[in-house]
Amino acid sequence: MRITPNIPPEQGLKMLREAKGYFITNTARDLSQSDFKNRILLHTDLLVAEERDEAGFFSLEISGGASIHVDMLRKLVNPFEKLRLLRKHMPRTMFQTLCRGVNLFGYRPYPENVIRLTVQEFAKYIEVWRVFDFLNHIPNMIPVFEEVKKAGKYLEPAICFSTGPEHTDEFYVGKVKEIIDITGSDIILAIKNHSGLGTPARIGRLIRAILDKFPDLIIHYHGHNTDGNDVARIVAAVKAGAKIVDAGDHAMTGFFGPPPILTVIQTLLDEGYEAEGINIDAVIATSNKLKRVRQAYEPFESQFKGFDPTVHIHKLPGGAMGSSFEQAVKGGFLDKMPEILIEELPKVHRELGNFWSVTPGSQILWTTAVTHVLSGTRYKNASEDLKRLLLERYGPFPFYKPSDEIYEVVFGSNWKKIVATESGREEITPIDLKEEKKKLEEGIGRKASTEDLVLYLQHPKDAVDFFKFEEEYGKTYVLGPEIWYRKGGFEVGETVRFRDYTGKYHQITIGPSSHTEDGEIITYLMVDHHPEPFVYEPEKEEKKEEKKRSIEELMLLAEMGEICATTDGTIVEVRVKEGDEVKEGDIIAILEAMKMLNNITSPVTGEVKQVPVKEGQQVKVGDLIARIKPKRKSDS
Amino acid sequence: MSISEEAVRNIFRIASGVSTSGQIKRDKLMKEKKIKKVLIANRGEIAIRICRAIHEEGLKAVAIYETPDQESRHLREADESIWIGDGPRKDYLDIDKVIWAAKKTECQAIHPGYGFLAENPDLAKACEEEGLIFIGPNYKAIKDLGDKTIARSIAESVRIPVIPAGKVLPREEESALEKALQFSKEEGFPVMLKAVAGGGGRGIRKIETEEELKLQLPIAAKEAKSAFGDEKLYLEKGIKRPRHVEVQILADHHGNVIHLGTRDCSIQRRHQKLVEIAPAPTILGSEVEKKICEAAVLFAKVSGYRNAGTVEFLVDQENNFYFLEINTRLQVEHTVTELVTGIDIVRRQIRIAEGMSLDITQDEVVCKGSAIEMRINAEDPKRDFAPESGKVVSVYQSPGGPGIRLDGTVYQGYKVPKEYDSLLVKLSVYGFDWNEMISRAVRALKDFIIVGPKTTIPFYLRLLQEKEFLEKKFDTEYIDRHPELFDYKPLEREEAKIAKAIAMIHHTKHNPFSM
Repeated sequence: MRITPNIPPEQGLKMLREAKGYFITNTARDLSQSDFKNRILLHTDLLVAEERDEAGFFSLEISGGASIHVDMLRKLVNPFEKLRLLRKHMPRTMFQTLCRGVNLFGYRPYPENVIRLTVQEFAKYIEVWRVFDFLNHIPNMIPVFEEVKKAGKYLEPAICFSTGPEHTDEFYVGKVKEIIDITGSDIILAIKNHSGLGTPARIGRLIRAILDKFPDLIIHYHGHNTDGNDVARIVAAVKAGAKIVDAGDHAMTGFFGPPPILTVIQTLLDEGYEAEGINIDAVIATSNKLKRVRQAYEPFESQFKGFDPTVHIHKLPGGAMGSSFEQAVKGGFLDKMPEILIEELPKVHRELGNFWSVTPGSQILWTTAVTHVLSGTRYKNASEDLKRLLLERYGPFPFYKPSDEIYEVVFGSNWKKIVATESGREEITPIDLKEEKKKLEEGIGRKASTEDLVLYLQHPKDAVDFFKFEEEYGKTYVLGPEIWYRKGGFEVGETVRFRDYTGKYHQITIGPSSHTEDGEIITYLMVDHHPEPFVYEPEKEEKKEEKKRSIEELMLLAEMGEICATTDGTIVEVRVKEGDEVKEGDIIAILEAMKMLNNITSPVTGEVKQVPVKEGQQVKVGDLIARIKPKRKSDS
Repeated sequence: MSISEEAVRNIFRIASGVSTSGQIKRDKLMKEKKIKKVLIANRGEIAIRICRAIHEEGLKAVAIYETPDQESRHLREADESIWIGDGPRKDYLDIDKVIWAAKKTECQAIHPGYGFLAENPDLAKACEEEGLIFIGPNYKAIKDLGDKTIARSIAESVRIPVIPAGKVLPREEESALEKALQFSKEEGFPVMLKAVAGGGGRGIRKIETEEELKLQLPIAAKEAKSAFGDEKLYLEKGIKRPRHVEVQILADHHGNVIHLGTRDCSIQRRHQKLVEIAPAPTILGSEVEKKICEAAVLFAKVSGYRNAGTVEFLVDQENNFYFLEINTRLQVEHTVTELVTGIDIVRRQIRIAEGMSLDITQDEVVCKGSAIEMRINAEDPKRDFAPESGKVVSVYQSPGGPGIRLDGTVYQGYKVPKEYDSLLVKLSVYGFDWNEMISRAVRALKDFIIVGPKTTIPFYLRLLQEKEFLEKKFDTEYIDRHPELFDYKPLEREEAKIAKAIAMIHHTKHNPFSM
């Protein structure tokens, strides 16, 4: 049995209910986000489009989450165009997205008219809409629910899952009821186990508890394999009655994303459950192709290989694991990671209400914990997002509020008043879409489509940058990862072949490079047999010369204690060092210029704060020689 | 015709050259077919065009050049080249140097091309005096016919319609204004205010009101003085939405005059031609086409014209035609006539200059199909066709295939000179009929790859897809009526854009867009 995009959702839901076996969603987007920092290209998805279409998945999760942003920001592909192209090559597979409720595909709540327009536009390509809220605050999802229903698509509200004393079956069953009271039972309910928490037994119990109360409900289990045990959870979920489960192509599976589809199929088959609609040969063929390109994505894999069962302590979502380690490496606090993950993060998580560690909540928890460990103080330098959380702008705390002490540290002694006056879910007034469109058109210098506007409304600056990029550099999604992510440049004579977006075949051969007197690098590329020079100016920033100061300005600066060279020359002697007291007229240094020795004297009395010059050093007009903190008259 | 050709010739004494020893020597050369080597007193594409004809005639070509042109292609095409000074645009205009160069390189003839000295009677005169053959009309014809009032008188004398025009306005401003106002009242606005010494579309102002006339008159006088060294002005009746139609003629020294059909040059911007089409499509097959051609031949005959020339007319919306002037030289747009007639005009010019009889009769001239010429200039049409001087053509790929003719000076690595014009290549396209010509021209324009300077190509592409143009509904005001032709996106090949991205990935040693 196979559910395809041309089958109306009512009939599709009926097929799901009546199916003996279970269905599989290929979570390609989540795999890319969790294990490859979201860098898997459309080029790769198109490479295996036909095999994946043949494989017979319930859906391909290929949009949403951070992907809308990263598509434009890092992959330089239009998220709508991506869906159109994939649809062309995958006519039989439903596409699925992950939508963050009122936060849509971004990180903060959007006005309702933006939410509605965004859902309308994406619903043209997306059949299955998974919607969640990191506080499981159901009202945050209602506008999306309504628009998805209006568009006649599959609505898949999610309850985020986590563990801890508050996270009981009763609580979750209550949340499911809250959803069904709004949506009715013609939905798919997702259990969003974004961190891959809970034991298989726990997941089985939860699903049974929900189905006990709502026997007709179709449950879609989503998990992460961070602890290496998600196959077991999936097996437990299906045995408990889940009809759809999430998994990924084995050639690309890593550690924090979904577990391998094939392993799920094989394991469940022996348990007596058949994967509905699945063509195993096509599943294998997909991975055989993917294996050939995986190497090109290696730079984006987590710095730390291996499963992480300590996820049950720190509860980081699979989608944030790789980027957290990347941040630790870049920030130079890798050694602090055990402290952050095992001690501070769980502590902060408990203190802040034990809600669900998923966007944007996971970022707030992570940033707060890292700040605590690095600064050695707690809650003192609260981020704006933490403040918004504490003021329940995102929605009410699900279990309990953080302690008064935290509020006091964050908001100061006046915290009670601030909380009393500023708390509560914010009502965001609709924005003038025509006005926004005008702004966008000014930014890109051309007419904007509704799709363009939707992308702009999600991420204004990055969307404009993307549109400008496309204007300048064309549709680069035609380049494969081995080109797009090339490190160290190309070999001279290397040929890159590609078909442009119109289908026309081109080849570009890398030719020799030469340096100009101005330090520019010119490389000749043979573009379709014609040599074309490409000029590169390295380190443009450094070339920007500082504004030249006049001698008058330099004299004034000296009176303020900033003594600079007023002629070009060589420092032959430095008479002072940092911390010295100097009097007006004291010699700071001696500068040789035009074979004359010039005394550089201090025009002020004060303390030497900085002497950046050394003996023998060449200086130019305007270079700093010494900085002196003038002693105020009143000081003496 | 009430006045005989001979009478007209006597009135204007056009063909009466001074009989000097130079004249005798020249006549001897002509008789003996002694042209072995021709000096081309020009540069750029036209120098190359002439060079081709010289070579096809089995002769040798000598190029001249000013220092900024030392890398130019016309030097590579010629058999010899000779430096005549640092220029720019100074030595090419120096008759003494040109004559010196011709003698030094032992040329027997000089071809002036178009522009520079082409319509300067003194070069023709100097040639006659120095015993060189000037490939063009004699100096008296250039001199007299270059004066529009004389040309008008000749036309009027044989009842070729001319645009009603006033006498040359007095120098003194007040009386000039008085005369001008009187003319405007009689003929009605608009009127055209023209410099007597102007030409090639320069020194012309369209005046719509009395106020404008008062304002423009002194400005036009000053401008004429500084641009042409002659402040004389006159007024002409303005023709509404006229078409600019010209006739190519060939006349030998034996009294044979033929025409090679019409060209339409209505697509103009500020009286500068942008596109030329042969034969003129808006009057093709009509009575007026025939009349215009006959008038052109008649004019050439009565004025005793020799060699190749172009008689220009305006044709109004009712198909009335008016004589404008005669260009006593080869025209930029001669290529389209060559395409539709199959006749090489430049080779005929050389043979005529040698004294040979025309080898074609009027009956043998058959215009077949349709041809269009577009000047691919390194200019930005959006910025008032500002030349892209100093820019380097880093990639040049030209179209080919059926019906394509290219007359160019550009090559990969060509630097658009700041000293000279910005013409890169003339694209002339032939089609069996109008529609075939259009689709072929669009294809040819798209097949160009020119990287570096902005060019007129995207503008022409817009033009060739504009409805009125396609329906042949154009006149000299066409460009003013269609400002949207300038509203195009820069053409950049997708592969060139992607190559830029690849170059960035190569240069920065990682992908700067994906980090």
